[in-house]
Amino acid sequence: MARNVSKTIGRGVVAIAALLVIIPLFWTLLSAFKNRVDIVTPTPMLFFTPTLDNVLYVLERESVRAGLINSIIVSGCSVLIGAIFGLPCAYAVARYPMRVADDIQFFVLSLRFLPPVAIAIPLIVIWLDVGLYDSRIALIVTYSLLTLSTTIWLAIPAFKRVPQEIEEAAFVDGYGPYAIFFLIALPAAAKSLIGAIVFSFVLVWNEFLIALMLTTSDAKTLPIVASEMTQLGRDVPWGILNASVILLSLPPLLFLGVLSSFLSSALKTRKQG
Amino acid sequence: MAELSFRNIAKRYGDIDVVADFNLRVEDREFIVFLGPSGCGKSTILRMIAGLEEISGGELAINGKVVNDLAPRERNVAMVFQNYALYPHMSVYGNIAFGLKRMKIGREEIDKRVRSAAKTLGLEGLLDRRSTALSGGQQQRVAIARAIVKTPGVFLFDEPLSNLDAKLRNHMRVEIARLHQQLKTTTVYVTHDQLEAMTLADRIVLLRNGAIEQVGSPREIFERPNSQFVASFIGTPAMNFFEVDLAGASAPCSKKARLAIDPARFDLDGRSKVVVGIRPAHLRPARQDETANIIEGVVDLIEFLGNDALITFKYAGEEVGALVPAQMSPRVGDQVRMTFSDDNLHAFDIETGRSLAKRSQGRP
Repeated sequence: MARNVSKTIGRGVVAIAALLVIIPLFWTLLSAFKNRVDIVTPTPMLFFTPTLDNVLYVLERESVRAGLINSIIVSGCSVLIGAIFGLPCAYAVARYPMRVADDIQFFVLSLRFLPPVAIAIPLIVIWLDVGLYDSRIALIVTYSLLTLSTTIWLAIPAFKRVPQEIEEAAFVDGYGPYAIFFLIALPAAAKSLIGAIVFSFVLVWNEFLIALMLTTSDAKTLPIVASEMTQLGRDVPWGILNASVILLSLPPLLFLGVLSSFLSSALKTRKQG
Repeated sequence: MAELSFRNIAKRYGDIDVVADFNLRVEDREFIVFLGPSGCGKSTILRMIAGLEEISGGELAINGKVVNDLAPRERNVAMVFQNYALYPHMSVYGNIAFGLKRMKIGREEIDKRVRSAAKTLGLEGLLDRRSTALSGGQQQRVAIARAIVKTPGVFLFDEPLSNLDAKLRNHMRVEIARLHQQLKTTTVYVTHDQLEAMTLADRIVLLRNGAIEQVGSPREIFERPNSQFVASFIGTPAMNFFEVDLAGASAPCSKKARLAIDPARFDLDGRSKVVVGIRPAHLRPARQDETANIIEGVVDLIEFLGNDALITFKYAGEEVGALVPAQMSPRVGDQVRMTFSDDNLHAFDIETGRSLAKRSQGRP
């Protein structure tokens, strides 16, 4: 009996925690399709006549479209660069014993210790001097530092979890170190690696401070554009804000969905041949 | 088809000698078992054959060709790992075919060989399964199929059965023995399990601290152990040992233990103390009129083993184990009086542990 009670209590706690997370998100989703009147009414409304005005308003704005394109290009490129260079680096640190392996690992993490402002200010100066301030290139290069360090940090344990004997078996089977990396280590660690890549994507997709300081108009990313919505006028345009938040949240969710379906298909038994 | 020759092989990690001056010739078609306690260097030697460990010194030749600096694929070897080491993201078929793909063999030929290897190991129905969805025994079979499909010159087994439960281990042991009978491929098999070594090996190489303690057929090693270490390592239940004071070469009989040591069989060489050993299975209850080679004591433990019972008693300060037929087993607290035939006595130097048996003296 006592076990059932504690089980019920445990489930209750989890349910409350889940509701705490979900309700605000749900409310945001609802408000995105509400008219202003329905939002500011003192009695919260669960049923209302939905409108697409907010979403359309957000989508029709040139700045949102530009921001979306910037965000996709900048996040995509920096995640790609982080993966292309970060995964082999993590593999090397995980597999090839060297004196500086631990130092590399710590250095990579230590990049994340600095407050972003401390990085952003020198970066402004650097990019201004190079003449690339407020450009996608500048953001991509800057974000690549973030994705690199995150990818490396998260991929090292993923590669370490691949049993060494599997790679040795491939070595005895006649494969060289590069083939072993691509044909054995990468697929064997794929599950955790995709987690690492998604995490680094979410990190740069949501990044605000550095984007705010490195862009003024051309290269603005979606979080910056969305935040500017609050400055549309005296009256806070709640519907539009909620709609932009929802639109901002969609790409990471889609990305996660695509990757996880890719993952499950990649891990399915390949037909022989 | 391959023969192996080790000449002064050494392995060092920094200042530590793991293997020093290892010399051995493995004949074509031979099944060699490296046996020894953990840390004796047996796996290291196997990994040096496979090309997974660099050889620090000496020469390793396969079929007369020195392979010290060759990559694994140029050595024509295949290895089965302790934890199977199957590629987790591939099907059983993919696992078996993976090595062949590297060998630039045509698709049809690969398919033919994979299916025939799978048939040999009873895996036909499992080819499409994910390797992670198999039981331990099935995984081990896939690992073996992956090795035989390459038709290598040498099979290397690194404790292949130690992750299996006892019943399956016996079963797979028989399968490996059959497989060797069928394929006759030169095999080097590493284990710490003496039963596996005794049943599978043409010759056992018993290792200790990176050096060969004894090389010989299972029978030789069991009947004529070179040293106290070998004698204690081989045989279950373990051999009984006593320190024996010799009154002098003329009267080779101890004061502590009344055991006759035949100077014709053992090179006593004026020693005043030796260690003698008798296997528990060689002890039998003594008749009343027998007075030679008597070991007696009060039984303090009985372990029932099925057909036999292992009784334990104290004699001359040592614990003695004796195997007696279960239905003749005494009870705890009974006085027992055991004896043995002279032929079954082993004697070892008390310092070095080397056997004192005269080599010319053949034992039955």
